[in-house]
Amino acid sequence: MTRIRTTPPRAAAAALLLFTLAVSGRAADATLLKGELDGKELSAAIAKQKGHVVLVNFWATWCVPCREEFPDFVRLEKAYRDRGLRVIGVSTDLAKDLPKVEKFLAAAPPDFPNYRKKSGGDDQDFIESVDAKWGGELPFTVLYGKDGRKVRVLSGKQSYEDLEKVISPLLRSGP
Amino acid sequence: MRALRIAASLTLFAALAGAGIALAESPAIGSAAPDFQLTSVDGKAFSLADAAKSHKATVVMFIATKCPYSNAYNDRMKKMAEEYAARGVQFVGINSNSTESVEDAVAHAKKHGHTFTIVKDPGNKVADLYDARRTPEVFVVDKDGKLVYHGRIDENYEDATKVTSPDLKNALDALLAGQPVAKAETKAFGCTIKRA
Repeated sequence: MTRIRTTPPRAAAAALLLFTLAVSGRAADATLLKGELDGKELSAAIAKQKGHVVLVNFWATWCVPCREEFPDFVRLEKAYRDRGLRVIGVSTDLAKDLPKVEKFLAAAPPDFPNYRKKSGGDDQDFIESVDAKWGGELPFTVLYGKDGRKVRVLSGKQSYEDLEKVISPLLRSGP
Repeated sequence: MRALRIAASLTLFAALAGAGIALAESPAIGSAAPDFQLTSVDGKAFSLADAAKSHKATVVMFIATKCPYSNAYNDRMKKMAEEYAARGVQFVGINSNSTESVEDAVAHAKKHGHTFTIVKDPGNKVADLYDARRTPEVFVVDKDGKLVYHGRIDENYEDATKVTSPDLKNALDALLAGQPVAKAETKAFGCTIKRA
C-alpha cells in the first residue's frame, strides 16, 4: 500500500515562497522600483542603452490613462526586446505614494526597469530636461533612436498598434 | 483677437489622430489670445473678447472634474477667483474633457463652491486652439486681449501651505500693477485633456 505523505500547510507555504524567490530573484519585501532619478540621471540611463531603440514612458498611479496604457508597454517590451527595444518607466508619483507605486508594479511586474522621479526641486526643471515642448501632461512617452538621439514624443495614451507603428521603423534603421 | 480657427483645430485634430502625436504650439506670450465663444454650464453665452474688454485680466483655466491634479487646486481656484474678482479679474474654467459631461461639470462646481464661470468645450476646439494639453493649465489674457501668462497655478499641487512659487498670483499681481510678468511660462505635471 502506498503511503501518501501530506505536506503540512506551513511547510508548503515556505516551499512556495522559496520557489517564488528563486524564480523571481527578489525578496518578497524588495522594492520593484529600480531607484530614483533626476533629469541628468535619466539622460545617463538612456545613454547607457545606446545601440538600442529606447522608449521612456512617464506615468503616475493617479493617472488613469497611464494605468490603462502600462500593460501595453509590458507587452511591447516582451515582443520587441530581441529586436533591440529597451523600455524605461518613470513614475512621477510623490514620495508619499510609494506604496501605491509598488502595489501597481507588483500587480503585473514589468520586465523593464522603473524609476521614480527624484523628490525635490521644481517639476518644471525635470519636465524641460526631458523635452522643451512637454507641458507636463501624463502619460508622456519619448523615443530615442539607436544613436541615442530623441526621435519622437508621444503625448497622451497610445494604442499598442500605434506604438508598433512608431517603433518598427526605428528598429529597422541602422546601425 | 483672432476669430475661432475651426480649420486650424481640424488640422490639429488630424495630426493628433495619427500615430506619434506631433506637439503643436500654444499661442506665444505677447500675441493676441485666440477668441472663442462658448456656452457656460448654466446656459449663458461667454465670449473671451468681451470678457477681456470688460476686465483688467481674464484667467482661462482648463480644468477637470476627475483629475487629481486639477482637483487638488479646487480650493485655490475658488479663493483666487473670489479674491481677484474684486480687483477686476475674471476667472473662467473650461472643461474640454470628452469624458466629462455638462452635468458632471455642474455637480463638480456645486460641490466645490465654484461660482466663477465654467464653460464646456465640445469637441475640445478651444483646447486645440490653445494647444492646452493638461489640467489644470492656465492662460492669462490682459485687457487688450494679449496673452501674458501660460502655465501652472503654482509649483506645489500637494500642499497649498507650502507653495514657494505662486506663479499665477505673481502674474496677476504684476499685471494689475502695470508691470511685466517676470515668469510668463511655467510647467507642471497634470492630467492629459481627454480629447474627443
